[in-house]
Amino acid sequence: MTKPVWGALFRPLWLGILSMGILGSCTPDWGRGEPGSVYRGALIANLKTFDPAQASDSYSNQSQFQVYEALYEYKYLARPYEIQPCLAAALPEVSADGRVYIIRVRTDIEFQDDPAFPGGKGRRINAHDFVYSIKRLVDVRTQTYGWWIFDGKVAGLNDFRAASEKLPPLPDSVHPALYDREVAGLRALDDSTLRIELTRPYPYFKYILAMPYAAFVAHEVVDHYGPEFLNHPVGTGPYVLKEWRRGLRLTFERNPKYRHGFYPSEGTAEDSANGLLADSGKALPFIDRAELYIYNETQPMWLNFLRGNLDRSSIPKDNYSQAVDPERGLRGEIAEKGVTLTRMWQLDLIYMCFNMIDPVLGKHKKLRQAMSLAYDVETVLDRFYNGRGIRAQSFIPPEISGFDSSFRSPYGTYDVERARRLLAEAGFPGGKGLPAFSYLTIASTEMRQRGEHFAQNMAAIGVKVNVESCTWPEYLERMQNRKFQIVGASWMADYPDPENFMQLLYGPNKPPGENNASYQNDAYDRLFEKASVLSDGPERFALIERMKAIAAEDAPWIFVVHRQAAVLSYKRLGNLKSHAVAESPIKYYKIVGTRK
Amino acid sequence: MRDLWARIRRRFGRDVLATTAVVVIALYILAGLLALAGVLAPGYSQQIGEAYAPPSAAHPLGLDVLGRSVWERVVQGSRVALIVGFFSTVIAIPLGTVLGLVAGYFRGWMDAFVVWLYSTLDAVPTILLLLALALVLPTGKGLATVCIALGVTSWVSTCRFVRGEVIRQKELDYVRAARSVGATDSRILFVHLLPNVLHLVLVQASLVFVYSIKSEVILSYLGVGVQNFPSWGVMIDDARLELVGRGVWWQFAAATAALFVLVLAFNLFNDALKDALDPKEG
Repeated sequence: MTKPVWGALFRPLWLGILSMGILGSCTPDWGRGEPGSVYRGALIANLKTFDPAQASDSYSNQSQFQVYEALYEYKYLARPYEIQPCLAAALPEVSADGRVYIIRVRTDIEFQDDPAFPGGKGRRINAHDFVYSIKRLVDVRTQTYGWWIFDGKVAGLNDFRAASEKLPPLPDSVHPALYDREVAGLRALDDSTLRIELTRPYPYFKYILAMPYAAFVAHEVVDHYGPEFLNHPVGTGPYVLKEWRRGLRLTFERNPKYRHGFYPSEGTAEDSANGLLADSGKALPFIDRAELYIYNETQPMWLNFLRGNLDRSSIPKDNYSQAVDPERGLRGEIAEKGVTLTRMWQLDLIYMCFNMIDPVLGKHKKLRQAMSLAYDVETVLDRFYNGRGIRAQSFIPPEISGFDSSFRSPYGTYDVERARRLLAEAGFPGGKGLPAFSYLTIASTEMRQRGEHFAQNMAAIGVKVNVESCTWPEYLERMQNRKFQIVGASWMADYPDPENFMQLLYGPNKPPGENNASYQNDAYDRLFEKASVLSDGPERFALIERMKAIAAEDAPWIFVVHRQAAVLSYKRLGNLKSHAVAESPIKYYKIVGTRK
Repeated sequence: MRDLWARIRRRFGRDVLATTAVVVIALYILAGLLALAGVLAPGYSQQIGEAYAPPSAAHPLGLDVLGRSVWERVVQGSRVALIVGFFSTVIAIPLGTVLGLVAGYFRGWMDAFVVWLYSTLDAVPTILLLLALALVLPTGKGLATVCIALGVTSWVSTCRFVRGEVIRQKELDYVRAARSVGATDSRILFVHLLPNVLHLVLVQASLVFVYSIKSEVILSYLGVGVQNFPSWGVMIDDARLELVGRGVWWQFAAATAALFVLVLAFNLFNDALKDALDPKEG
C-alpha cells in the first residue's frame, strides 16, 4: 500500500528533475569551463557543414578556420592585408612569366588524431594532400560552391572536372582512379614540393591558396566518413571540434598536435601602443576552449553579451543607440562594463541585383538607371546601418586597391526628379506600362523592412515592387537558377584583391557562377581579362576605372553600401584586432581577466 | 430555423457584454470594408513623417521604421484579419460539416476513412502543418495561401462534432419518419439533419474564424504569412526588435491591442452564441 503512495509523491519530483535535465541540455551552459581559458563567441546563423568544399559563407569560414588550414594564411596584424606561410614552408617561388608556382610544403605538421587514420593517430601532411584536396574540390560530385576560384586558371584542371562528370555518384566511388590521373598544372613533385602551373598569370592566385576552399583534407578521412565527412572536420589547425550541437553551440578544444603557430612579432606603432605585440613569438593558441553559440536572432545574442556571457558581439541595428553615442563613442554605461569598441571596413558591397535575362528589366537600361536614382541609400545607411558605412559608387570597397573615394556613378545619387525623367525616356512615364516587379529577399525582419523601403522608394516614381521573402536555401537556389527579378545581395571579399569584386560582373561567370545578374558586356569582359592578370599599378587601375564606368552606366546593379563593422568586446579578451578576411582568428586571442 | 434566430436575438438582447462584442466586431468589419474600398487608411505604405515618431495629435499611434502611420497599418491589418477569418471559415466549415454528415450518417468505410483522415491531420502539430502547407501550396506565399492553408486544416473539430451529433440524431423519430416516406439519403442529410446540427456549425464557424485570425498573425510573424501588406503579425515582428533596442512601444501596443480586442470580442460573442443555441437553456 505504501509503495504507490510514495511513488505518486515522488513522481512530480522525478518529472521535474527530468525536465530540468532536458531543458538544461537545450540551453547554453554558461557555467562550464575554467574562467580564463574559454572564449565565447557568437554565430548569427546555423552552420551547414564542415566540409571545406562547401565553405561558401562567412559563418562556415569562421568555424572552419579553427580546424582546417591552407598553404597560406593572413598576417594577423598587417594592414593592408598580407599573407604568410601556414602549411607552406615559404611564400611561393613564382616564375618570371608569373605562371608557374613552386611551393615548399612543410612535412613536420600532422593531422589531428582521428579514428580515420591507422591506429587513430594523425599522420604528417605532404604535398600530395594538397593535390588531393584540390582535385576533390573540383570534382563535380562534391557540388562545391568554390569551383569558380580555380575555373580556367590551372592548366588541365578543367579537363579533370569534365572527366569527373562521367564518374558514378558519390559515395559509391569515393576515391576513384581519376584522382591518380596527373593534372599538368597541379603536381606534387615530391612529398614537400608542389608545382602549380597557371593558364595565365593571375597575381592574386596566392590569395586563393589561403582560402578555406583550399584547405588540406586527408583522403583517409573523406574515405572513412563518406557522406558524413561534413560532420567530421579533421585538420591541422589550432583547435579540434569537440561538440557540434545543431542550432545551439560549437565547442572547439585545443589541438594537442598544433605546434606551428606563433604570435606575430611585426605590427604597426598603433598595434604596439595597444599592447598587441606583447605576446610576440609566443606559441599559439592561448585559449584552451572556444565556444561559438548559434543565434538565429540578434536580440538573445545582444542580451547575452550585455550579461557578460559572450566575449565579443556585433551591435544589432536596433541596439546601436543603446551602445554608441551620437559622437560615435561608447556610451558610459556600456564602457563601465569593461567593453571596448572597434571599427573596421568590412571589405564588402551591398547591392541590388537586376536579373538581366528578365524581358523588361534586362532590356531597358534607362529603367534600371531610374530605379538606381530613385533609391534613397542615405536613408538605408541611417535606418539599417546606423550610419556605419558609405554609399557605394562602384563594386570596389574601401581598403581594396582600385577603390577611389572621388569616383561617382552618374546614377549613384538620390534624385527622384531625374529618375522620373529617365523613366519617361525609357517609355514608362510615371511607371505606366510596367508590370509589378518582385524583389527577392531573405525572410528576416530587417531584410523585409529593407525590401519595403525599396518598394516605398520605387512607388514614388510609379514603379510597383512586391517584396518576396524566402528561406536562405530557397534564396540561394533561386539566385543560382536565375528565378528572380530583383534581389538584395551582398559580397564580402574572399581575398583582398579587386578581381574578387570585378569577377561578379564577368560574363562567363553567369549562374551557377557568381555573376547573379547574368550581366554580359563584351567590353567589360575584355577589360576584366586584361586587368585580372596584371599586378596593381597605373595600368591596372586605369582598366578598373573603365570597368567601373561601364558597370555604372549599364546599371545591372544598384550600388548600395560598403559597410563598416562596429564590434564590441570585453577588455578581458586580449590581443583582439578585427580582421575582415580571416574572421574570428581565435588562436591569437587570450583571456586576460576573469568573467564576471 | 426561425426559432434559432429568435433565440439568438433574445439572448443577445438581454446580454450587454454580448451586444458590446457584436458592436466591436461590427466596427472591425466596417473598418476592414472601408479599407478594402480604399476609403480608410489608403496611404498605409507611404512615408508621412520621421521614422519612429511617437504618438502625437497628427499621428495618434505614432510612425514605424519607414515613417508610415501605425494607425493606418492597424486598420489595414484588420482588413487582412477579416479576409483570412472569412475565407478560412468558408473553406473549413462546409468541409467539416459535409464530411461529418456523411461519416455520421453512412458509417462503414466512409466513416472509417473520415475518422482516419481527421485523426491523422490532428496528430500533426498545427503550426508545423500550416508552415509546411504555406511553403508548398502552388499559390505561393501570401494571403490566398494563408486562407487555403488555414481552411484545409481547421475543419477537424467541426467534422468531429457534426459526426457525433448525426450519429445521435439519425436514430431519432423524425429521421426514421423521413426514411419511411421514401426520402433519399441526400434529402435526409441536407434537408432534415443539417438544420438540426446547424447550431453546432454556427458556434464552430465563429471559433474557426477567431482561430484563423490568430493563426494568420502567428504565420505572418514567422515570415510565411501575408506578404507585401500590413498584418498584425508583421507589425509585431517589426516591433519586436525596436521595442527592446529603441523603446519604441507604439507599434507593438497598437497591433497587440487590435488583436486582443477582436479576439476578446469574438470569444464573448461565441460564449453568448453557445448559450443561445444550447437546447438546455430556455
